[in-house]
Amino acid sequence: MTTTLEHATQAPAKGGGLARRQNFITAMIGGVVFAWLGWFLAHHFLDSSSRSYSDLVTTSLTIGWIFGFWLGIGALNGPGRWLIGADHTRADDLYYAGENQGRARYWKYCTDHKVVGVQYIVMTAVLLGAGGILAMAIRTELIVPGNHFVNQQIYNGFVAVHGMLMILALIVAVAGPWANFVVPIMCGARDMAFPRLNALSLWTLVGAAGLLLSVLAVGSLTMGWVVLAPISDQAGIGMDFFAMSIVVFTVSTTVAGVNTICTVMTMRTKGMTLARLPIFVWGSMIAAALGLYAFPYFSLVEAQTLMDRNFSTSFFVAGGGGTGWLQANLFWLMGHPEVYVILIPAVAALFEIASVMSRKPVFSYRTAIAGMTGLAALSILVWAHHMFTTGWAPTLGGPFMLTTELISIPTGLFFLVIIGTLWRGNIWMKQPTLWLFGFIFNFIIAGITGIYLSDIPIDNQLHGTMFVTAHFHYVFVGSVLFGAIAALAFWYPKVTGRFLDETMGRISFWLVFLGVQVTFLSMFISGLKGMPRRYSSYSLIFEHANVLTTLGAYMIMAGMLVLLGAVVRSWSHGEPAGPNPWHANSLEWLVPTPPPLENFDVLPVITEDPYNYREELVQA
Amino acid sequence: MSTDLELEHGHDSHGGHDGGHHEPPEVVDGRQRMAIWLFIGGDIIGFSAILFTYLYLRGVNTGGHWMSMMGYQGHSYAYYENAANLPAPTLITVGKLAAGLNWLVTGLTVLSAAFVWAGEKGLRASKNAKNYSVMTALATAVTIVTIYFTIKQMQNIPSIYVAVNDSHTMAYTAYDSSMMVLIGSGMVHLFLLAFLGLGLTIRAARGVINGTKWYQARLVRLFWVWVAISAVIGSAVTTTINTIH
Repeated sequence: MTTTLEHATQAPAKGGGLARRQNFITAMIGGVVFAWLGWFLAHHFLDSSSRSYSDLVTTSLTIGWIFGFWLGIGALNGPGRWLIGADHTRADDLYYAGENQGRARYWKYCTDHKVVGVQYIVMTAVLLGAGGILAMAIRTELIVPGNHFVNQQIYNGFVAVHGMLMILALIVAVAGPWANFVVPIMCGARDMAFPRLNALSLWTLVGAAGLLLSVLAVGSLTMGWVVLAPISDQAGIGMDFFAMSIVVFTVSTTVAGVNTICTVMTMRTKGMTLARLPIFVWGSMIAAALGLYAFPYFSLVEAQTLMDRNFSTSFFVAGGGGTGWLQANLFWLMGHPEVYVILIPAVAALFEIASVMSRKPVFSYRTAIAGMTGLAALSILVWAHHMFTTGWAPTLGGPFMLTTELISIPTGLFFLVIIGTLWRGNIWMKQPTLWLFGFIFNFIIAGITGIYLSDIPIDNQLHGTMFVTAHFHYVFVGSVLFGAIAALAFWYPKVTGRFLDETMGRISFWLVFLGVQVTFLSMFISGLKGMPRRYSSYSLIFEHANVLTTLGAYMIMAGMLVLLGAVVRSWSHGEPAGPNPWHANSLEWLVPTPPPLENFDVLPVITEDPYNYREELVQA
Repeated sequence: MSTDLELEHGHDSHGGHDGGHHEPPEVVDGRQRMAIWLFIGGDIIGFSAILFTYLYLRGVNTGGHWMSMMGYQGHSYAYYENAANLPAPTLITVGKLAAGLNWLVTGLTVLSAAFVWAGEKGLRASKNAKNYSVMTALATAVTIVTIYFTIKQMQNIPSIYVAVNDSHTMAYTAYDSSMMVLIGSGMVHLFLLAFLGLGLTIRAARGVINGTKWYQARLVRLFWVWVAISAVIGSAVTTTINTIH
């Protein structure tokens, strides 16, 4: 299947003026200029004696930033041309798809789903890197009690921004790169359903990340990533940046979710029935649907926080008739489904990897889909378990404890499917498989400790302690991050044409795997002893556990740096992989590497499911 | 996965980056219709959350502040420690927002939706793009008028100046806050409709939307009707459920 598209050899489209000179640099310039304009207008026209003056000026600045960023990158070109009835020509569309633009297209508002996928890989690395540096600073502060590596106010800000950066990073860690790069090809489509919206979701995320990182520069925040009232009302202007970044981020996720679902439901090639979809496509679609449900709450709760701060409304301010419980409810209505928006794509990628690497079909394909769907459905009914100790609706504690414990059923199906797939398989022990086994080990610990915390009596004892922190880090680091790295190692050859360096990858795996155990098992111990979360200092009785936790965190960081080195080095010097290094059957492996613009010369017609491994492939 | 690589007419469309130019309208229509329904679905979640906010704050009535100072008539200074540098006080009446203005905004939104829907029906029946352009222009004009009345609604939310040591701000009760976010989200919808209406008008006038290529008219109509429905629901809830008994 070696194909060359006819239009790929055409001369690049000419004309277009300024629109064709837009890139990341013009976006930054646009963002800064309009941010300054927003500040200037607010500064000169608003009453400076108002209590909300600094918040209003800040909010105006952030709105200016995102508008200018969109304008500078070219996100508003399409709507503008639609408005005046001058739609893009095919030459325009191919230009925006990056045709004949080489590496420059990676810095542009490029609509090619594969370019967007690579941009997401870089974006994820940036977010994880920034969040990781903050994690190291936090752990360095906590290595001994009474340490003064950073002052307490800065420490609080580090905790808040670390949390939110990592949440954003993990939301996009699998769904961003791979739902973009491989899902359209897996479906037999030439691109996502809405290529311009695809680019919009990516660049909106970049704009939101800029706002979030700015929090550190403007005085930071005073608590963890949930930032509930009254602190959300009392915090400095960093809170305005923080809340606006979330509002903008939800635009990105909504657009991306709609695009993913429409791509899968309307752009499958002939013969690609729902029952023949690769399991990763199912996972991406279910997570996208769950995100569409969850993220409007996130947007609203942060918008209301901004209104409380900017306009003195009283949503969450008890003195004016509001209540923090409203904020907590809205936040956790998003907060728990969001865990599965993050988890499901990673698990689905691991299903895919387990099948390919064991040369067996996904065990009980329909059970896997039922597990992911069931998890998504149940996840919207468990939010109040985050509020067991707040005193909100105690009579609902029992039902929420039940729904939370029921989550273990679809989660158990995940283990059943992965182990059933690997069972008696001809397992190929390469990097993706290593990370898969690491996931299985860590996810068992994450799941079992989650069951403890779902029980109200135990939660009453452990809520707000390091035990909870350790639990959700086993979910996010031990499970999701392992799934994301497995997916990276698995699909890396399709992106670059080269294998991810095996030796460096294995070193990275063992450092991160052992680091996770040292870090978070010792964190369970400090939590069981009663050490509270988010404190910058602690009693001497927690010292040994904290030393271990910090050393383990350094191991994780070292492992991630080795992984980064492997990714960078292998991109140009890795072992050539060819178009189908894993001898897999799904469509992304049947197109050339790297896949050409629009993926297929002629669209394939599917006649079998993707997991029908034949004897000759097994032997290969 | 076994595949047959064969070129099929109508199947090998360049669906990737052509923005719909080179695909059959029914293909583009189906894809975009699913997208618009998904966006509406997300919007329904957001709108429901706003109504939840309204009903929750009314239900809990924290500290009796759902509509505190209800019935107060007088200057907009509720209390202050130092009134220096305050703007001139205005006379306000603290209470429910006028239901009439609320329903006027809702009625105008429904009217604009009716224009869009009628225009689309005419376009599909008579293939008359000019008539459609007129109808969407009317809908856009009505929407702009609606935005004006929405701004008036915002201005009518009774605010109370709170002054503390020369720094003052306006404070809103829970009712006012809930109304503000409801009206604000309605205003965002209206600005979006004005943009879409203007676009449809220009596109129909330029012949981009015509008697055979009308799927965008239907897509916008779906969203427009949802906005009208949400306005009716919002008005009905805030008119019938507001005071604490």
